[in-house]
Amino acid sequence: MYRLSKMRFGFPIGLFLMLFLDGSLSQVFSSQMFGVPSVMISHLVVLWLVCGVLFEENMTIPLVKWAVVVGIVFDLYYTGIFGVYIFVFPLVVYVTRQLVKYISPNFLSGLLIYFIDITIVEALSFLASRVVHMTSMSGSAFLVNTLAPTLALNLALFVVLYFPIRGVYNWLK
Amino acid sequence: MQKFSFNRRLVIIIVCLIVSFALMTVSVAIRNKRSTPPLIQQFGNDIVGLADRVVALPANGLHGSVSAISELLNTYQENQQLKKQVSELAQTKVRDQTLAKENKQLKTQLKLNDSLTDYTAISAAVITRTPSSWQNQVIINKGASAGVVKNMPVMSGSGLVGRVAEVNKTNSKVELITDNNDSANRFAVSITTKSGKTVNGVLSGYKSDTGQITMNNLTTKSKISKGDKVVTSGLGGVTPKGLYVGTVAKSVGDDYGLSTKLYITPATDLSELNIVTVAVTKQ
Repeated sequence: MYRLSKMRFGFPIGLFLMLFLDGSLSQVFSSQMFGVPSVMISHLVVLWLVCGVLFEENMTIPLVKWAVVVGIVFDLYYTGIFGVYIFVFPLVVYVTRQLVKYISPNFLSGLLIYFIDITIVEALSFLASRVVHMTSMSGSAFLVNTLAPTLALNLALFVVLYFPIRGVYNWLK
Repeated sequence: MQKFSFNRRLVIIIVCLIVSFALMTVSVAIRNKRSTPPLIQQFGNDIVGLADRVVALPANGLHGSVSAISELLNTYQENQQLKKQVSELAQTKVRDQTLAKENKQLKTQLKLNDSLTDYTAISAAVITRTPSSWQNQVIINKGASAGVVKNMPVMSGSGLVGRVAEVNKTNSKVELITDNNDSANRFAVSITTKSGKTVNGVLSGYKSDTGQITMNNLTTKSKISKGDKVVTSGLGGVTPKGLYVGTVAKSVGDDYGLSTKLYITPATDLSELNIVTVAVTKQ
């Protein structure tokens, strides 16, 4: 099923497009997104992976493998600190798959699942950065200045992009 | 059976955690100690960087045209202000040329080759920015093949914005001065006060809620006032002398009352970087 569909090439291309768009968005809107003091970070890669789980239905995409691959590229190309997103992205896919078992995926429950995923991504990358002394930000400052604006931006992106991405996935099937 | 699968999951989680910490520690150590990343990482980053340019080029182009339109609206006011400055600038430029010439002549007389102020510039475009809130990094489109070396200072507009943190063949990562990590380079700077005294010190961090650079542990007696200019001092060797950092915004006593703490307003808007200049010191 997966082997014969357009998904086989379409999924990775979309994934890497989202990866590069994350960086480009951050660069183009840097004065809005990296303001003082609150910081918003776009996680379009996570959006693409989560949508993969939500829309795959009976077609199984090798999401965990691709999450590891995109995690490696993210770590090496963007942050230069290897070993963070390589584990976070597959974990997000795993958590989403577990949640989808209990909640049938639709627009609103997808929003809820995505909320949980973004919180996991941000919290884990914050913890990792604290451990290797990449940041000295306190936990409360993280919640107010980073997590809250990031959630707001990403949930807004989810609302805007949910139906277009569903269209893309349906076309790829 | 239930117990077995639970144990297996626990083992997987612990192994993942250990591997993750090991990888992070090793990569941070490599990043701090070695001048270039391992060859495989360099190669991978070059390929990814090439692919990224395909996506980043239209995005940055679109941004350029949008900001061009919004800038057009401010042009009239700006033009009036600039006209006043231009006449002064011409004078300064001529004087600058004469002084540079004189400087060169004096140097040859003294048989001095290169002093701390000498540097050549490599200009580079910003491809993309790290989508992360703890790493203020941008990726630029010049690397080792253009002569960029790790730890070189990077400037944009009128002032210093950061240093080169990682060099690949065709692109490199620039760590901005707003980055607050423990291993970030602390630039050696000097301040010339109104009374003509020079105060030397080291930049110590960044205050993210006001957007100011901090400078700790100053034990000088001379009075530093608001508006004094901060430039790099060239001490330490990597950074050339005389790169503009910013102006003093506030001078307060530190928490224990023993030394002075300075807040410095950066010269360049650090959230709006498109073209940067890498300053290459002559060695």
